[in-house]
Amino acid sequence: MAGPGGDMQWCFSQVKGAIDDDVAEADIISTVEFNHTGELLATGDKGGRVVIFQQEIENKSQPQFRSEYNVYSTFQSHEPEFDYLKSLEIEEKINKIRWLPQKNAAQFLLSTNDKTIKLWKISERDKRPEGYNLKEEDGRYKDPNTITSLRVPVLIPMDLMVEASPRRVFANAHTYHINSISVNSDNETYLSADDLRINLWHLEITDRSFNIVDIKPANMEELTEVITAAEFHPHQCNTFVYSSSKGTIRLCDMRASALCDKHSKLFEEPEDPSNRSFFSEIISSISDVKFSHNGRYMMTRDYLSVKIWDLNMENRPVETYQVHEYLRSKLCSLYENDCIFDKFECCWNGNDSVVMTGSYNNFFRMFDRGQRRDVTLEASRENSKPLQVLKPRKVCAGGKRKKDEISVDSLDFNKKILHTAWHPQDNIIAVATTNNLYIFQDKVN
Amino acid sequence: MLGRGVKRKWSCLEELEVETLPAAAAEKEKNEVEEEEQKDEDGLLASPSKSDMSHLQQRQRVLGLCLEKLQRYQAGVELSLRRSVLLINTLRQIQEDMQSDGVGTCAPEVLLNGVHSDSCILREDMPVTCPGCAEGDGGNLSPPLSPESSSQEATSSPDQQKSLPAATINAFSDAVNAMGYLSDLALDDIFEDIDTSMYETSDLPSAWASSSLWPVSVSLWADEDVKMRPPGHASAGGLQSCLMDLNELDHIMEILVKS
Repeated sequence: MAGPGGDMQWCFSQVKGAIDDDVAEADIISTVEFNHTGELLATGDKGGRVVIFQQEIENKSQPQFRSEYNVYSTFQSHEPEFDYLKSLEIEEKINKIRWLPQKNAAQFLLSTNDKTIKLWKISERDKRPEGYNLKEEDGRYKDPNTITSLRVPVLIPMDLMVEASPRRVFANAHTYHINSISVNSDNETYLSADDLRINLWHLEITDRSFNIVDIKPANMEELTEVITAAEFHPHQCNTFVYSSSKGTIRLCDMRASALCDKHSKLFEEPEDPSNRSFFSEIISSISDVKFSHNGRYMMTRDYLSVKIWDLNMENRPVETYQVHEYLRSKLCSLYENDCIFDKFECCWNGNDSVVMTGSYNNFFRMFDRGQRRDVTLEASRENSKPLQVLKPRKVCAGGKRKKDEISVDSLDFNKKILHTAWHPQDNIIAVATTNNLYIFQDKVN
Repeated sequence: MLGRGVKRKWSCLEELEVETLPAAAAEKEKNEVEEEEQKDEDGLLASPSKSDMSHLQQRQRVLGLCLEKLQRYQAGVELSLRRSVLLINTLRQIQEDMQSDGVGTCAPEVLLNGVHSDSCILREDMPVTCPGCAEGDGGNLSPPLSPESSSQEATSSPDQQKSLPAATINAFSDAVNAMGYLSDLALDDIFEDIDTSMYETSDLPSAWASSSLWPVSVSLWADEDVKMRPPGHASAGGLQSCLMDLNELDHIMEILVKS
């Protein structure tokens, strides 16, 4: 059965994480991100840990086995903190991870919780020096007077050791909860966005940041809109966008003024009056915004749909894809159980031809823009045999349920796929269920 | 709600949600099937009462859920700013809807019955009517949800209008209290040198209340009232006794002025 992207068929590759259904809260995956080459895949969880997987070198003799991702490094990025002034706990949950482009042998990533961003250096050590003649057998330093020869230590191979060390801590700049970080194409600066403000940082400087967007009203009672996501343009270092809880996206040019409260462009689609309900605003709230790799488009995710915007056209998106329209009639129940507030992310494939986002019941959706095709797939342990081809799933909205279809009321709303990532070059995807990370790849013919 | 950094088993939460979800989904499914049947029967020109009723039912339900969610977030469990803004905007929308509906008519019994089971926050013995059904001041759009007005109207139509008790108002104020980061200042600082805080609204949540979000024009700071009240009125239900103090004060002033 042909899927999006030509005759692409998705196969199970790997699954990471605990098998049992009893999920420890700290293991809940909260972010997934490939690095710029796709060789490394980072996940953050609710317990403040970062786990990095590395793609093994391809096995040329067995080409049907694409290279696998194995654990490369695990470290505790953030710890829980306590805000004494407000008597509130600060969660250690990792909200976002963003990789820096590689400049030398080491890898760098930014990870953030609600309040603090950290720059981590991940470096390899596979050699150690041997042959010092400065110490005794038991480790005590020899008396220098007894050392008569100069011996240069030799580097000998050792088991690979991957070390993660925090190089910068960017703290105390956000009153509200950080929802996004984005590295600039200049590779020197990055932005961090919370509910009401966006700050610009220099990667080398931790004791100050510049506030570039501030939507906090003088009178908090007038607050009706918050920032939900922000991202730098992939090529234009002066351009960034931020989305709001009212379904608008603002594009800002940092050359225009120091404080970018006035947007250069405002992207908003007029509301469809026939769909108006008490939940209209909540479902229009944008949960994620991502530029396409080529920088010409951006994609937004709201509760029920994915929209592609041409940066040159502000009044409506150029494409709209319904993720799970069958939920529109269930909005009241979803409001009751708080699912309506779930924040789904979305992502582009390497050449911007396919977009992907998650849904409930461990379903995720792919939309092929060129071929106008979409598919629903499921990440589950049942479909986890090696190289097993994923069968497309279908949800029955009403009426007679066909065989193999699942009815809306049978959907498990506790199994939500909020975080997905697509390898920047290959057709390899990482899909996070509550506490498991699934890696799928397209079938090599 | 979810703890912080604590390894708690997901299954506890799952149990909670599993309880709510099928019930909610089933109930909603049933309601919607009923609604759709009614709409199908009546066609586009549905008799106003039927479609209004489902609209009102849903509105009441959403209203109850809204308040419950705002109440749920006690101090120590943070309510995300995004969620609280979305909830409050929904409340505003419902209030506008109620006000625009104010001139419409609907059978109060029907509404009360519809509200009874659906509304989570309202107690069994305290139904709420929509403004349109409010008897009392003719054409007065101030909803009976205001304890102030309700205490005045209590004599006029006691059987129909029962105020949303201080419990609900306290719940709202608690929830808004919990939104600690909405005000960067410690709230005590604001109240330090104001001794009329008992009568006035102050700061954002009560400002929200006074500025047409919620027609409650008394101070929401029940806790503050307990502090500020003169000794001798140390009973619970701070709001009611404050109002009684006010009335007593007025009464005393009257007497003084007359003499």
